[in-house]
Amino acid sequence: MKTNILILLWLFVSFNAYNQCKGFTKKECVPQIKPFTYNGQLNMAVLNPGDVAELIVTFYKGQDYRLFVCAQENLGKIEFKLLDSERNTIFYNKEHDMVNYWDFHSNATQQLIVQVRVPPLEEEVAVAPSGCVSILVGFKE
Amino acid sequence: MKTNYLFSIIMLFLLLGCNTKNTQQNSDNDTLNLIKDTVHTNRVKKIFYNVPSPIEMSTVIQRSGAVFRNDILCPYKNVEKYTSLSKQAIMLGVYGANLSYVRLFEQIQLAINYLSSIKKLCDAIDIPQEQGSLAIQRMEKNIENKDSLLQIISETYAATDSYLKDNGRGNTATLVILGGWIESLFIATQIADYNNPSNKEIIDRIGEQKFSLNNMIELIKAYPDDKELQLYLPSLLDLKKLYEEVNIEYIKGEVKTDANKKLTTIYSVAKVEIKKETFEKIKTLAKQIRTNIIKY
Repeated sequence: MKTNILILLWLFVSFNAYNQCKGFTKKECVPQIKPFTYNGQLNMAVLNPGDVAELIVTFYKGQDYRLFVCAQENLGKIEFKLLDSERNTIFYNKEHDMVNYWDFHSNATQQLIVQVRVPPLEEEVAVAPSGCVSILVGFKE
Repeated sequence: MKTNYLFSIIMLFLLLGCNTKNTQQNSDNDTLNLIKDTVHTNRVKKIFYNVPSPIEMSTVIQRSGAVFRNDILCPYKNVEKYTSLSKQAIMLGVYGANLSYVRLFEQIQLAINYLSSIKKLCDAIDIPQEQGSLAIQRMEKNIENKDSLLQIISETYAATDSYLKDNGRGNTATLVILGGWIESLFIATQIADYNNPSNKEIIDRIGEQKFSLNNMIELIKAYPDDKELQLYLPSLLDLKKLYEEVNIEYIKGEVKTDANKKLTTIYSVAKVEIKKETFEKIKTLAKQIRTNIIKY
């Protein structure tokens, strides 16, 4: 019985986290992509410490892009990387004060990978925090 | 006891559902590339695929000096003929691509007409006023301002995607993306003249859709139970086969980061090779898929 209650609690917390995520992304994240034009595709997930999410995206030749990684504060500073198709690192925010956005200009059309990671917990806790992480892409004409 | 048993079965299904998704995602990750970064790739929980919006695709048309062609557009007047939810969603993408195209040529009256059709589709798909139609009302006021028009098209597109995903209708959002992507490819292939050197950029952009096509296919594969999406998968896989004939030679270049400007420039070069015969085959198949999509 106790297990069932715990599972129900876990389900409730998960659904609640997802609902919070939706509101958070729209209210807190999307407006911050300006002055770039948001590409309109919502990439958001509820993540836990240590989780990694990836976005596969095409950058067109000669176009300017902004990558914006938006996360709830309880998750801590989110790491993000831009990798080329062979997974070589092009940009790593750890080298730039864990900044949450960066602009890119590519001289060639290419498929790139945006990789984000929620920092792992430094010590064991009873209930690991979870929170919303969104990866937004903006472009300029 | 019986309740506990039932509860356990429901939980098992829920957990299995979650596991299936994660396994798929991990498997996708494994096929992505060689894993060089062990820290980041230890625990990939979610993989997203983005397909460039029709607005991004259309910018190259503007630079090519192409003239406006009304005959290639999907008639906005047909909007009432699309009665099923899936057709309305896919047509929302198609009309969005048409709107992005007419905007480039400042065809104000046509933009208003497409806007009106998009508004009807938004209402039919139940995208609430504040998400879709309100933005469209703003658009009517700003119709003569090209930049505002761009912003409002983008916002409407984003609001639609966000609303549908929020409401567990990611499959419908994927139909919108598919409609927009195919219509953009159709327009580009119809406009491009392979023998005209000034069209080289458009031809290259058509070749570069090889990347977006893969992302589009991955997006559709995420909804194996959606009959409408699965209906388009075989023809997209045929298109993928044709795209295998497109060669994109990528020469890795220097990467320069300007920390003050928060800007990284990637000085790589990609050489797109697409033979005339391949181009014509892609053009024909894109037209076939588009004809199938806009059929009511």
